[in-house]
Amino acid sequence: MGQQILNAIFIGSIYALFAVGYTLVFGVLDILNLAHSAVFMLGAAVTYTLVVNHGQSFWLACALAIVVAALMGLVIEYVCLRPLRRRRAPPIAALVSTIGLALIIVAAIEQGRPGTLFAWLWVDGANSVSLPGGSFPNPTWNVAGLTLEGSKLAVIPISIALMLLLGYVMRFTQVGRGLRAVAENPRAARLMGIDVDRMIALTLVISSALGGLAGILFGVALGDISPYIGRDSVEVRGLAVIVLGGMGSIPGAVLGGYLLGFIEVLAVVVLGSNVRAGVAFAALFLMLVLRPQGFFGAQLRERL
Amino acid sequence: MRRVRLVSVLVTAIIAAACGSAGGGGSSGNSYAGKTIKLGAVLSITGAGGVYGPQSRDGMMLAVDEINKAGGVNGAQISLTVKDDASDKAQSAQVAQTLIQQDQDLALLGPTLSNSAVAVHPLAESLKIPILAVSTTGIHIVPDCNYPNATPCRFVFRDSLGEQTAIPDNIQSYAADAHPSTGVLLVAQDDKFSSDGGKIVQDTVGQYNINLLKVIKFNKAEADLSPYVTQAVQLKPDVIFITSLGGIPAKIMTEARRQGWQGQFLGGNGFNTATVSKQAGAAGKGARSASAWYIGNSFPSNSDFVTAYKAAYSKDPDQFAAQGYTAIKVLVDAAKRANLTFSDLPGDREKLRAAMETVNIQTPLGPFQFTSTHDVKQTVWVIAMDGQGGFTLVHEIKAS
Amino acid sequence: MDFLIQLVTDPLGFWSSHTLLISQIAINSILASSMFVVLYSGQLSLAAPGFMAIGAYTAVLMDIYLHTPLALNIATGTVLAGIVGIVVGLPVLRLRGVFLAIATIGFIEALSLGVILNLPITGEGLGLKNANADPLGGINLVLVSLVVIVFLLWRLTKGRLGYAWTAIRQDELAALSQGIDVPRYKLIAFVLSAVLAGYAGGLESHLNFFVDPNEYGVPRTVQVLTFAVLGGSGNVVGPVVGALFITTLPYVFQQAGDYIGIVSGVILIAVIIFRPQGIVGRGGFAFVRPRWWPTARASAPSTG
Repeated sequence: MGQQILNAIFIGSIYALFAVGYTLVFGVLDILNLAHSAVFMLGAAVTYTLVVNHGQSFWLACALAIVVAALMGLVIEYVCLRPLRRRRAPPIAALVSTIGLALIIVAAIEQGRPGTLFAWLWVDGANSVSLPGGSFPNPTWNVAGLTLEGSKLAVIPISIALMLLLGYVMRFTQVGRGLRAVAENPRAARLMGIDVDRMIALTLVISSALGGLAGILFGVALGDISPYIGRDSVEVRGLAVIVLGGMGSIPGAVLGGYLLGFIEVLAVVVLGSNVRAGVAFAALFLMLVLRPQGFFGAQLRERL
Repeated sequence: MRRVRLVSVLVTAIIAAACGSAGGGGSSGNSYAGKTIKLGAVLSITGAGGVYGPQSRDGMMLAVDEINKAGGVNGAQISLTVKDDASDKAQSAQVAQTLIQQDQDLALLGPTLSNSAVAVHPLAESLKIPILAVSTTGIHIVPDCNYPNATPCRFVFRDSLGEQTAIPDNIQSYAADAHPSTGVLLVAQDDKFSSDGGKIVQDTVGQYNINLLKVIKFNKAEADLSPYVTQAVQLKPDVIFITSLGGIPAKIMTEARRQGWQGQFLGGNGFNTATVSKQAGAAGKGARSASAWYIGNSFPSNSDFVTAYKAAYSKDPDQFAAQGYTAIKVLVDAAKRANLTFSDLPGDREKLRAAMETVNIQTPLGPFQFTSTHDVKQTVWVIAMDGQGGFTLVHEIKAS
Repeated sequence: MDFLIQLVTDPLGFWSSHTLLISQIAINSILASSMFVVLYSGQLSLAAPGFMAIGAYTAVLMDIYLHTPLALNIATGTVLAGIVGIVVGLPVLRLRGVFLAIATIGFIEALSLGVILNLPITGEGLGLKNANADPLGGINLVLVSLVVIVFLLWRLTKGRLGYAWTAIRQDELAALSQGIDVPRYKLIAFVLSAVLAGYAGGLESHLNFFVDPNEYGVPRTVQVLTFAVLGGSGNVVGPVVGALFITTLPYVFQQAGDYIGIVSGVILIAVIIFRPQGIVGRGGFAFVRPRWWPTARASAPSTG
């Protein structure tokens, strides 16, 4: 049982980290960024490629992968979102636009084989790969019948540290205040001299960096890196988490992530595996019906 | 006078028959000079099946090039069109239809995934075109492509060793080596391939006195399989059976070893590619499965095939490449003997179909024949992962 | 490009060798029409695949166990989808915008993962074999259905229902204050969309030898949404055009070969940026409005 609790905490951390990025964008922009899961995958893929195909050290690869993810945030803003805002497009158009970008990112990785256009990015095509054993530190301890893996344990303090850091930034720094102002009312924020476009770009950069990092942790700790890890593992669950925790609420996303992790593992242990995710979604549905703002959601304002 | 004529007719008939059955080499009766034999392949080049499709394609193309360069099939050149079905069932059927009715191909190969085969094979059967599966190993592929309708499908064949043969052979060989008594099965219940394999495992273990303690089902797209592996490991079985493919076997093996389990992994076709062996790394060392092909096998045509493949593609071939290559060889042999007219497509397809049933040739898979149910009859290789991205040979089980 | 060439030079030959594709386009169009109904009434419901699943499974199960004729099977599936539509539609009436979207996602995932994948009778993960499918012959039924549905919807949008839906879509509060029974009209739209999706599901199951539980999840709903948004949901024809466009994309751009995914993503982004209202769109529809989105009457603000 103890082992299962550890499993729940680990996967909950991944969900939480991923969902924070999601909820940040939603809070500031009122948009669901469906390219987020592709950036998650990209973080893992770039780390793998740098280590295995280009011979870089693990830590350098991680750092570069996070930078790439952050840059991808800029791409999302400049390619997918800003042109639509300029044209006063309905927000739903942004959904389709980010879907298109996700398609491109996943397809580019999927097509990466020796000799193709994207061979510098990825050479394993649709395959699932993992970082070779010795390339990163992963001490494993067997204590009191439990297996403690270094890479999985490391996720917990990293996630928590990042949440705290983000919370601090949002609450106590100029930048954070700017972001919150834009989230509250962009027109008023602009009137107060805040560069709204830049704030939005910053939101995407932070969100994508977090998403990419979540992907790296996922790929490294679980030994599973493929073009599909975003779509299969976290995309829909990320939605469930931010609803459970409250759209736009960062602490809510964190709590929601851990809650989902526990719900899923509990369902495996108690009910048998199949029902696992179904339970999560039934919970999601009920939550929306009964308490649409989630556990921590802000009041709904005009969304009556 | 009449007797002389009768004798000469008989003698001519005997000579013609003798020439015709001489293994298909240069039968004097058929000359297809100047014609084109059109073949179509529906493969998963993109999408999840993209792990296998490109290798099948490469193997097929290699065979087509070799044969065309050597003069073709009785003088006719082969034209192979490969189309991608994006691992999508609906697209697979749509693409197959265009190959059959628009391109008017003589025969089809594929599709890559068992899921797509469920849609495409009945279509081929109803449109009366021979189709040769090159990577589908599940149940109800041949001969009952219209399962639960038991009427055998006349036009569907496969050259990919079925799990129904492979898995029991693998279990039998390990049981004889190590006499395990307990096992746990981990199966992806929403994946036909894995599920079929799981069923076969469950049906087989009793014969070898292996007690299946638990069948643990999960969904193939789940993020983290640790909770399931924990459940398996806590039961302390001798064997863990894994019938999935893709990234799942390696994840399970790595996690199980980390949690301290020391027993034996036994798997299905999902183990048989270098990618899985590499991904599993040290955790997968010794994991066994039964394969339709082994790179070091000593059959006559195999080393030529391996050399040619390496020269053309700068990498080692795998089981799927070998099966794709063999498929072309099979179709070509049948075409040589089928007396094609090139003017009556439905008639030619039927003739090809009949000729396929009597194929008996040497291939990189070994001596190849179809069984009476259009399934494959061949040697089975029990292989084990070597912990470094490759395999070692454990046993060779000859076809019975 | 030879796909298009054959269409023009040899229409009859094209027709007979592409019946499966044409049927699929028609079914996708019916699904897109289902999406049209809810979008036109201002509801971002993503529940279509769930109702499809109900229609498909009901039809095939009846065929397997009761051996009843096709018409009865599909009709039953359609009606059942409608009933479930009422059950799901009522509690979510008061949800707006993205919240409704996520609730409906919760519904389809709970249905798929919790129910379909766990009932032995539905074949669990392996789906159902449909031995009496008629892939080539079904085209007539599908095409006729499409024409009838499009015509009916066109008439509806010109009548009282259409007027009410448009009013609700543009401003729900204003519609309420004009005396329009908003919940009733929203429910009608929701149930109608469920019925259409259920019907499409039943039809699709008739064309395939196999009902696959993996086809009724989030990727499907994203695809159907894309049909509607790309085509433009301002009028009935838009989503049909969107479905046609997207379904034929891989065929038209066959030359892209391995890179088709990337090409598709690029085209998606390009179309939505240059025509955010959709290919056939007629200009702004703003049912998912974030707090600060300018209303139709406000002067053009400087926020993009």
